[in-house]
Amino acid sequence: MTTPAIDTTALTRRFGDFTAVDSVNLRVEAGQFFGFLGPNGAGKSTTIKMLTGLLAPTSGSIRILGEDLQANSADIKRQIGVVPEGMALFGRLTADEYLRFVGRMYGLDRATTLNRTHELLEFMQLAGEQKKLIADFSHGMQKKLALAAAVIHGPKVLFLDEPFEGVDAVAAGTLKAMLLRMIARGATIFLTSHVLEIVERLCTHIAIIHRGQLVAQGSLDELRAGIWGIGKAGIQEGVVSLGEEKRSLEKRSLEQIFLEIVGTDREGNPAATAPEQELSWLS
Amino acid sequence: MVELTGRESVPRSMPPIPASAQLLAVAWLRWRIFVNGMFRKRPKGKRQIVGLVFATLLRLIVWPMLALIVVGPVAASGFFAWSAISQGHPQSLASLLLGIALLWQFVSINGLSIAATIPSFDPASLVRFPLGFGRYFVLRSLLGLMTPSTIVGCLALLAAALGIGVANASLALPALVVMAVYALMNIYLTRMIGAWMDRWLANRRFREIFSMLMALFAVGIQFINLRRGPLRAPGTRSSWLINILHSSGSYLYWLPSGFAAQAILLVKHPLAAVAQFAGLLASTVLFAAVFAVRLHKQFLGEHLSEGVSRRASVPPAPRKKAPAPQPAALSAPAVYGAILSPTVAACLRKEWLILSSNGTQLIGLLMPLMFVVIFSMNRAFSAFSSKYFLPAAIAYVLIAALSSLYNIFGVDGRGVQVYLLAPIRMLDVVLAKNLMSLALIVTQVGVAWTIICVLARAPVPASIQISTALWTVFVVAMNLAIGTLRSIQAPRHFVPGQGRQLRASPTNRTSALLVLALLFGSILLQIPVAIASGYFRLPWLAACVFGPLAVAAVFAYALMLRSAERLILANRDVFAEELCKA
Repeated sequence: MTTPAIDTTALTRRFGDFTAVDSVNLRVEAGQFFGFLGPNGAGKSTTIKMLTGLLAPTSGSIRILGEDLQANSADIKRQIGVVPEGMALFGRLTADEYLRFVGRMYGLDRATTLNRTHELLEFMQLAGEQKKLIADFSHGMQKKLALAAAVIHGPKVLFLDEPFEGVDAVAAGTLKAMLLRMIARGATIFLTSHVLEIVERLCTHIAIIHRGQLVAQGSLDELRAGIWGIGKAGIQEGVVSLGEEKRSLEKRSLEQIFLEIVGTDREGNPAATAPEQELSWLS
Repeated sequence: MVELTGRESVPRSMPPIPASAQLLAVAWLRWRIFVNGMFRKRPKGKRQIVGLVFATLLRLIVWPMLALIVVGPVAASGFFAWSAISQGHPQSLASLLLGIALLWQFVSINGLSIAATIPSFDPASLVRFPLGFGRYFVLRSLLGLMTPSTIVGCLALLAAALGIGVANASLALPALVVMAVYALMNIYLTRMIGAWMDRWLANRRFREIFSMLMALFAVGIQFINLRRGPLRAPGTRSSWLINILHSSGSYLYWLPSGFAAQAILLVKHPLAAVAQFAGLLASTVLFAAVFAVRLHKQFLGEHLSEGVSRRASVPPAPRKKAPAPQPAALSAPAVYGAILSPTVAACLRKEWLILSSNGTQLIGLLMPLMFVVIFSMNRAFSAFSSKYFLPAAIAYVLIAALSSLYNIFGVDGRGVQVYLLAPIRMLDVVLAKNLMSLALIVTQVGVAWTIICVLARAPVPASIQISTALWTVFVVAMNLAIGTLRSIQAPRHFVPGQGRQLRASPTNRTSALLVLALLFGSILLQIPVAIASGYFRLPWLAACVFGPLAVAAVFAYALMLRSAERLILANRDVFAEELCKA
């Protein structure tokens, strides 16, 4: 059995009385392009922050590449790359300066840092913005730079929080190609996005979090088949069936599956009703 | 193409990252942020020359002042330390060291509250890089060593050590060692306070409370100064606070400043000196430990949980049909809707809502009035200047009020797009903003005027009252006209309650000097007119001068209003560039 790239056990994070992430058992195998979905406020970003060592869990454990994140935080951070929520760029630097700083912080030597900075700026089509401060970049340019910074040290696991938001179609195509090449070379990518078409096109495995709890996990085909493997294999293996009629391998879109899973409340009733009676004045 | 990944690209057992590499990287980062802040891109062509001229003028004025601010405390510290030892009153060394520490912390805290408002380098963001807590602690200890308060504080302590050494050569070495540790103690005290302040200042409500406390502190100091200082009325009893400060000398020996002073002065009694030095070291370790505890919480992501916990604390409201809006219940200015156009009334209502929800701005409106009360209550002050007190006080009130007229769209930020997209006349928006400003100015001036008339020892002559009224009309109308024009030509994003512009273009920065010249020039115009009035013994001269000026200024304002619509539409790109960009 191979060591999973990401493995969490009963991962929980509370803020006061509020439980943002509740006993999440997540398993991402090495080399997977993993999509992590959920409605707004479901706990996606909190989970990513915990998985990347930015936020300590209240309870539970996280193992990245087989090593305990709490115990080896600094070592594991060298093997992961992150495009965090809000990107966390330094606005008063140029793109070149920022990448050089990040490279040095990850322990790359000067020559490697310079080479990779140059290559990444060319690849991201930011090489022409030598003197422009990051604060003056468009949102899409900042996203590309954040992604460049996340990969400059050649991470084995890449965490991407809404990486394509605000990126134009041409740049998004380039980035997707780059990410797929990374997967082909053995990296693991953990991605969150609200654009389900992108997730469906890129990811082979999906997990869905809703109100802090993991409500589905499995390959895209398994989800299409109506099998939501909740829990962690060997610990709490559960298969929820949707019934025979839904179990057929009809080609349902991820959006349909997503709405099916999170579109109901805890009792199984529809979570939101179309407010047909409202906004009647709209033409 | 760079090797973007691969299990092969990163070996399993990696050599540790040298601490020096990360320390140098962060030092380089700070340097580049500093350099990029100093030499931002400049405008081209004619604007570049104008910009350079203004920037040079600004530096010629500001740099000598900054030099004085640095040299003053350093020289004074050296002199007082020398004086304390050579003149035979060494006990005042503890007071000197306490004074340096208090000034150091006061300037640092103010710097923090300003820094909290500027989008800049956030050292907490370093936690995402591969570094352990120990290294993070060292980095955070080193970051901020180049702040003005730390540099001036360290130089002042060095000067004090030199002063002691000059006065008594045998104390030179112990003084240097003790001052070095005392500097370290102050650095960790600053860090400790800073770490807590960072946490509190993230909260807007606390920022407002903090502004209020600082304002009260400033008023309190002024109150003590007038009661105790050279301008106090004869026979006035000393402030109780001053008495407490005077009698607190013996307690200083239980503070780090006392430990430091005693460690130097008791050098001939090694055991006592070592004990005092140990006290100083223990205080340093205590402050560093408290700082480390807070930093460790930050290292575990405490600052990242703020937003989540705030969101979480508000339970989702059950879905129900929204009640019909009730505009009449919004605020007092809603009554203006009856006499003003709907656009002007709506904009006025919005301005009122922003003002009423902004504690810092309200404090800013009250502060000048509080000072007017304090100055009016001071017999020496009001007796000395019964003739000039009213115009001087009104000028003081107007300085703060008028400065806001020069950036009337700043608070709107990206919201200015609503005005540009809506089917309304921009003239109405300008008019509403000007009306709100005018209402605030009239209220402030009216209250100040009443305070002075009630509290002043001598009645204010009618000629002074009329000339002051005419001068006020002139200054307000002129600044409204020019301020609105500048608001259109050079808007800049401004966050209410934070008191700082977020983004200043080079044009803005250079034209700020011109704004200052206009603002102060129009206000200070009173002085030569008052001098001429006194010299020629013509009490109504000021009224004769300011009457026509007031009429001309009102006329100029009306002319400006006529062209406001056209100017705003012509400057839409400037609005987008300065206010709408992220």
